[in-house]
Amino acid sequence: MASLTLDGLTKSYGDVAVVKSVSLEVRDGEFLVLLGPSGCGKTTTLRMIAGFVPPSGGSIRIGDQDITRLPPWKRNAGLVFQSYALFPHMTVAQNVAFGLEMRKATRSEVGPRVAEALRLVRLDGYGERYPRQLSGGQQQRVALARALVIRPDVLLLDEPLSNLDAKLRLQVRLEIRALQQQTGLTTVMVTHDQEEALTMADRLVVMSDGAVRQVGTQSDLYERPADLFVADFVGRSTMIAGTVTDPGAFRSDGGLVLTCPAAAQLGPATLALRPERLTLGPAARGLDNHVPGTVSFVSYLGAMLDVHVRLNGTDHVVVQIPNKADGLAPAVGDTIEVGWPASACLVFPRETA
Amino acid sequence: MAHVSQRPVGEPGNLTAAGLLVPATIFVAIGLMVPIAILFRYSLNAFVPGKLMVDALTVANYVKFFTDPFYLQVLWRTVRVAVACTFFCLIFGFPLAYVLARTQSRYKNLLVMAIVLPLFVGNAVRAAGWMVAFGSKGFVNATLMGMGVISTPIEIMYTETAVVIGIIAVNMPFMVLTLQSVIEGIDRNVEEAAFSLGAPPMTMAMRVLFPLALPGILAGVILTFILAMNAYATPVLLGGPKFQTMGPLVFSTFAQQNNWPFGGAVSFVLMTVTLILTIASTLLIRRRYA
Repeated sequence: MASLTLDGLTKSYGDVAVVKSVSLEVRDGEFLVLLGPSGCGKTTTLRMIAGFVPPSGGSIRIGDQDITRLPPWKRNAGLVFQSYALFPHMTVAQNVAFGLEMRKATRSEVGPRVAEALRLVRLDGYGERYPRQLSGGQQQRVALARALVIRPDVLLLDEPLSNLDAKLRLQVRLEIRALQQQTGLTTVMVTHDQEEALTMADRLVVMSDGAVRQVGTQSDLYERPADLFVADFVGRSTMIAGTVTDPGAFRSDGGLVLTCPAAAQLGPATLALRPERLTLGPAARGLDNHVPGTVSFVSYLGAMLDVHVRLNGTDHVVVQIPNKADGLAPAVGDTIEVGWPASACLVFPRETA
Repeated sequence: MAHVSQRPVGEPGNLTAAGLLVPATIFVAIGLMVPIAILFRYSLNAFVPGKLMVDALTVANYVKFFTDPFYLQVLWRTVRVAVACTFFCLIFGFPLAYVLARTQSRYKNLLVMAIVLPLFVGNAVRAAGWMVAFGSKGFVNATLMGMGVISTPIEIMYTETAVVIGIIAVNMPFMVLTLQSVIEGIDRNVEEAAFSLGAPPMTMAMRVLFPLALPGILAGVILTFILAMNAYATPVLLGGPKFQTMGPLVFSTFAQQNNWPFGGAVSFVLMTVTLILTIASTLLIRRRYA
């Protein structure tokens, strides 16, 4: 068990940089999630840690040992693939024993450790089956047992849940998290599913275009997104384009004059609003910003309603309200007041292209 | 749509399936089974010089084959050459097939074409070209002697080595293409999983890649072995008149000696030995890796 350090890690194919100088510190026992849209470089980063992709620059360290140039079979990393990648010609027990045999463990040692690993993933008694005789969720747990049994320095998870159906995914998420905490393994997981990332991680790394956009806890990313990309990618936001005209004053392209935090930088900007931080109806009047609008669309999400409100010809917002089923829900065409405090405004300078 | 038959092809009572099977079946029956049956019957006949074939029911032809050291030597030589060719095709072919299966290169199709291309040149044409190149006054010897590397021509033509090399060259594409298609079906992540669990490349290959490629290895071995056992043009042209193997022996017994009963027996020995060795190698490989 050890910490994992990436220092200026870079990967280019010809002129195309897919990972641009990524520096991260994964603390001993920490669960770090690399989150980003497909093609953002998160999988390439993980494959560099595993040793399958040689970095173009930078270094990787486990504890104090530089492993940048070590081949995969000399790194002590446990890897779980999206496709599980179980050995189809071996039984479950043989799959789990493989890594121990490679480490020249004695026969008397292998049996109990395989049994222990299978017990850990609640698959005791399945040792003699072949992978094809197991369900997707069970195969996933075998893959996890196979990675855990070698007592790796780091556990690497490459979209481990995306081949499972939705219901199972919720359950396995919690199981993996519990296992990780139980074993205290330093873990890096790659995913494009933000909900998955938010429930499992100690800290998250948001990547796009090969670069790290923000590193932080769930609330760091949600409450204080570093840029527009993070605000848009983590959670939901509705965007209003405009300009910060004076400290604390935002003028939208549609002509609304709004109060925003005084710290916002002057100049062209985008205002991001979280749908659940907005208030509808008469209660909106007491807030820093309140604007009349027309309900253009209501989408029914079960526990919640998404109310789309058009404020003028250009600007519109989405407001999320609880579904109280009291018959007072706004209907399309209603004129309604929308309000929010200045603190709910996330203002980002418009990136000049 | 509910009443439209969704029966898979091949289910009993399906006329379409029968219709699909019949032409090939008739062709195989008439083109293969009948001649083989006739051949077998001939091999039990007697050969009387002057009268050629005489109706009989005797195993004399088989006894003759298995008691004459000359014929036994021809059989042993054929098996030896075929085993060597198959072995080298597998050893050289596997890495090539692996690279071909795993390459991300945009020239992959070109590479596959390069493997297939030799098949466009017939065996006889190719062997004739080699005769020109490797003869004692051929291109290779002339060049080496001209450069002063050697003083007397190297004996390449009319040796077992020449025949083995010739057959390997002919059979290699069959081995490579068979292996490639099977290796392509193996999840690359499975190899990576083995690496990450601590297996160096050779260990990974022995424990994971070969066992999973086994169906392809078997198919490639069977295919190239049968082709090598029955090779005709290559041993005749590159081996010369003294280098007798079973394929040419069948032909000369029939066509030059007009001894149909013995020719039938030689054919059946060749077929049976090929079959037995194929089955034996299949069992051996299966036991080794599965």
